[in-house]
Amino acid sequence: MPSELETAMESLITVFHRYASKQGRSGTLSRRELRELMENELSNFLKSQQDATAIDKIMRDLDTNGDGQVDFEEFVSLVVGLSIACEQCYQMHMKNVAKK
Amino acid sequence: MEGAIKTLVTTFISSSRGKDNLDSKSFQKLVQKQFSGMMEDTNSSKKIKEMQAGLDANNDGKVSFQEYLTLIGYLANCVSDSKTNSSQAASDAS
Repeated sequence: MPSELETAMESLITVFHRYASKQGRSGTLSRRELRELMENELSNFLKSQQDATAIDKIMRDLDTNGDGQVDFEEFVSLVVGLSIACEQCYQMHMKNVAKK
Repeated sequence: MEGAIKTLVTTFISSSRGKDNLDSKSFQKLVQKQFSGMMEDTNSSKKIKEMQAGLDANNDGKVSFQEYLTLIGYLANCVSDSKTNSSQAASDAS
């Protein structure tokens, strides 16, 4: 039986590969695939999906090897970034609760 | 996917009991409880100590949230690679 954390990691990997295999190179996300993933899977976390320049910027930031594609390693940076933002949010929330 | 990210965060927070870092004992507990399916040697406290030392980028003897995410990223990469390789092998064979 996989643990909660292992299940979460599995689902991140599955999501990546589901979008990465849609078109073009199957192991990487193209700009369009990244946009679709963000639109469908991160609609609560990221509100900038409609903003084409924001997608371009995220794509540029993630694509550290500059090949115009986001591979799994680069996708992990997105997950790490979101987790850090989520953790900070949580800590702020807890502080606010403690104040009250 | 958002749920999965929340799980990454809440697992760390509940293991550290609200502190910023995991000490050796909490890290060992977390690894044994959460990674026994993905990793070998989760029963060896020596191996877990070695892993903790490898993650400890700032050498403070504890595992920060960032260092914990490094481990998650590393494991996720390994699992993802092994998936791609096995599916490639399957398509090569067919």
